[in-house]
Amino acid sequence: MLLAQVEQVQVPDLDFPAIAPILIVLGAACVSVLFEAFLPRSARWAAQFGLSVLTLVGAGAALLAYLGDAPATGVTTLAGALAVDKPALFLWATLLILGLGSVFLMADRRVEPGGAFAADAAIRPGTIQDRAQATTVMQTEVFPLALFSLGGMMVFTASNDLLTMFIALEVLSLPLYLMCGLARRRRLISQEAAVKYFLLGAFASAFFLYGLALLYGYAGSIKLSAIAAAAGGSDRSDTLLFAGIGLLVVGLLFKAAVGPFHTWSPDVYQGAPTPVTAFMGACTKVAAFGGILRVFSVAFEATSWEWRGVLWGVAIVSMLIGAILGLTQTDIKRMVAYSSVAHAGFLLIGSIALTDEGRAATLFYLLTYGFTTLSVFAVISLVRDANGEATQISSWAGLAKRSPVVAGIFTVLLLALAGIPFTSGFVGKFVVFSAALADGMAPLVVIALLASAVAAFFYLRIIVLMYMREPEEDGPTVSLPGVPTTITIALGVAVTILLGVFPSAVLDWSVVGAFVS
Amino acid sequence: MNTALLLAQTGGEVTTGEAVAFWILGPLALAGGLGMLFSRNAVHSALWLVLTMLGLGVMYMVQQAPFLGFVQIIVYTGAIMMLFLFVLMMVGRDASDSVVEVLRGQRFAAAVFGLGFGVLMVTALARALTDVPARGLVEANTTNGGNVGNIGRAVFTDYVFPFELTSALLITAALGAMVLAFVDRRHTERKTQREMVEMRLRGEHDRPSPLPGPGVFATANSVATPALLPDGSVAPESVSELIEATSRKTLESDVAEVAGTVPGPDAHALTGKEGDR
Repeated sequence: MLLAQVEQVQVPDLDFPAIAPILIVLGAACVSVLFEAFLPRSARWAAQFGLSVLTLVGAGAALLAYLGDAPATGVTTLAGALAVDKPALFLWATLLILGLGSVFLMADRRVEPGGAFAADAAIRPGTIQDRAQATTVMQTEVFPLALFSLGGMMVFTASNDLLTMFIALEVLSLPLYLMCGLARRRRLISQEAAVKYFLLGAFASAFFLYGLALLYGYAGSIKLSAIAAAAGGSDRSDTLLFAGIGLLVVGLLFKAAVGPFHTWSPDVYQGAPTPVTAFMGACTKVAAFGGILRVFSVAFEATSWEWRGVLWGVAIVSMLIGAILGLTQTDIKRMVAYSSVAHAGFLLIGSIALTDEGRAATLFYLLTYGFTTLSVFAVISLVRDANGEATQISSWAGLAKRSPVVAGIFTVLLLALAGIPFTSGFVGKFVVFSAALADGMAPLVVIALLASAVAAFFYLRIIVLMYMREPEEDGPTVSLPGVPTTITIALGVAVTILLGVFPSAVLDWSVVGAFVS
Repeated sequence: MNTALLLAQTGGEVTTGEAVAFWILGPLALAGGLGMLFSRNAVHSALWLVLTMLGLGVMYMVQQAPFLGFVQIIVYTGAIMMLFLFVLMMVGRDASDSVVEVLRGQRFAAAVFGLGFGVLMVTALARALTDVPARGLVEANTTNGGNVGNIGRAVFTDYVFPFELTSALLITAALGAMVLAFVDRRHTERKTQREMVEMRLRGEHDRPSPLPGPGVFATANSVATPALLPDGSVAPESVSELIEATSRKTLESDVAEVAGTVPGPDAHALTGKEGDR
C-alpha cells in the first residue's frame, strides 16, 4: 500500500516572545467572553473594563520586553504565517495605545448616562421595552468584541501570507460590524450603519478572496515572498498577477476607506456609536495601511511600475472626494468621515513611495492621525442636546462662548487635521510629502497640497462657527466627561501638540527599515 | 488503487470521462448560480444554490479531491443550506421584490459594469490558463497518508495559525448572535392578574378596558372592518395597528362603508351580485 508511508508531523516553531502581544490580546478576548457568561450583570462593567485595560497594558509590556532583544531584521514564525519585524512592532504599539484610548471612550458611562451602548441590543428600537431601557446600564459585550477586533488588526499588520491576512481581515471586521449596531441613541440609523457596513464589507472581502485565488494560481503559493519571487522572474502569464493585484487591492482599499471605495464610511461613521467610530477611524486605518504597506513592499515591489500609475489615480480621487464632498456636509461626523477619506489619500501617497522614508513617513502619519481622530470623536461625543449628540454642524455655533476649553481643544485638533504648523498633522504631512518628492512624485504632491488647502477650509469653517457666532437659544451644551474620556482627550491633545513641536524622537522610532518575509 | 491506474493518471491529461463530467456539471452549476440570482422566491434561490454546490462537489471529486467534494456536499449542501432554508421559513418566505429604483439608472449601470467585468475576467482567465499544464493530485493523494492525511498535515503545520485564528471568528459570530438576538427576560418581574387590574383602574394604562374587537361579520368578513361605537361613529382603535399602518388606503372604502358616509348595503347585498367585490 502506498498510503502506509506516513511520517511524523513536524510541529512548526513558535517564537513565543515575538507573538506574545497577539496571544495576550486574543486570549484576554476569550476570557472576556467567559466574564460575560459567568459574572452577574452588575459586576460586568468593572471587570470587563479592568480586564481590557490590563490586557492592553500587558500586551504593551510584552512588546516592550521583546523590543530589547528583537533581532534587527525581524523574524518569521509559525511556519512563516506571521512576520514580526520593526514595522510590525511599531504598528502593534500604535494599535495598542490607540486601542487603549478607544476602550476608555467605550467605557465612559458619564457622558451618556449608562454608556454609549444599548443596554439590550436585541430589543427592537422604538418599543415600550426599548424606552424602558433608555437609562439602564450598557451591554458589556462591546469589550470582548473590541479586543477581538484589535487582535485581528495586530495579526493583519504582521501576516506574511495572504490566507492569514484574509482571516485576520475577517477577525477585525466582524466585531466592528457588530459594534456599529449597538448605539443607545438613534438605534435605527445605527443598525442601518451596521447592515450597510456588513454587506459592503462582505462584498469587499469577496474581492480580496478572488484576488487571493488568482495570485495563488499565478505563484502557486499564498506566501508574500513566493508571490514576489514569482513576479520577479517567471515567464508565466501576467494576466493572473495583475487581475489578482487589482482585486486584492480593492479589498484592502475598501478597509482603509480610500478614494472611490469609501462610500460606506460616511454612513457608518455617522450611524455607529461615537466610541466605535473613534475606534474605526483610528485603529482600522492603522491596520489597513499597515497591511497595504506590507503587501506592496513585500509582494508587489517588483511590479510597481505597472500598478503605481493606477494608485496615483486612486490617491488623487481619494483626496479630491474627501476635500470637495467634505465641504458640503452638514453633519459633523460625516464631515470627519470625508476628512478621513482625504487623509487616506495622503497616506496612500506615502504607501506607494516604497522607500524606507516613505514607510517611515506613513507610519508616523498613521500614529499622529490616529491620536487626533480619537480625540476629535471624543470631543464630538461631549457636545450634546436633549436628543443625544448634537452632530448638526450649525448647532455648534458659538460653542466657544459656552465652553471655551472644549472649543479650544477642538480647534487644536482641527488645526492638526488641516496640517497647520506646530501640530502633529503638519509634521506628518511634511514627512509624507517629502518622501514622495524624493521618490519622484512631484505632481502628486502638488495635487495633495491643493487638496489639503481645500480641506483646510472646512476645518476653519467650524472654528469660525464656534468662535464668531452667537450661540443659539436652545443650542447644545457640553457635558462634563467622565475620567476615561478625559484621559483619552488629554492624551490625544498632548500627543498632537508634542509631536508637532518635538517630533524627532518618534520620527526616529518610525524609521523601521524593511519588512521581513 | 493499483500502479497501472496511477501511471495513467500522472500525465496530467484530461481524460474523456473528466471532460464529459465537466461539460455536464459546469453548465448545471452555472445555471444554478443564475437561477439563484434571478428567481423571485427566496426558497427557490436557495434550492438553485444547492444545485450549484452539488455540481461543484462532484467536480471536486472528479478532480481527485474526494474529501473536499464530500465536505462540500455534507457541510455546505447538507448543513448550511438547510440552515438557510430553516431561517427563510422562519422569517417567512416573502416573495416581495422592490421594483422602485432608488438611484436613477443604477440597475442599468450595474448590469453594464457587471457584465463588462464578467467578460473581462472570463476572457483574461481563459487566455491565461489555456496553456497551463495540469498537475494532478496523484502525488498528494498517494504519499504521506493520502488525500485526507495531507490536508490534515497542512492544517496542522503550514496553516496552523490561520486555522487557529478562525476560532476567533467563530467566537465572535456566536457572541454577535447572542448580542443581537437574545433578550434576557429572567429578571423582569411578571405581574399578577390582580396587580394588572389595579394598575388599569389606577389609570396607569391608556384605558381601563381591553381594546374593542373589530367589526368583523357585521357587514364584511375582513378584519380591517372597524367596530362602531354606540353613537354610530367608528372606533379607530378596534382595527389592529398593523393593518392601520400597512394598508390604510385599501381600508378607506371599508371604513367609509361602516361609518355610513356612503350608501350602505341593500337587501341584495348577500346574494352576491355580479360585479361585487
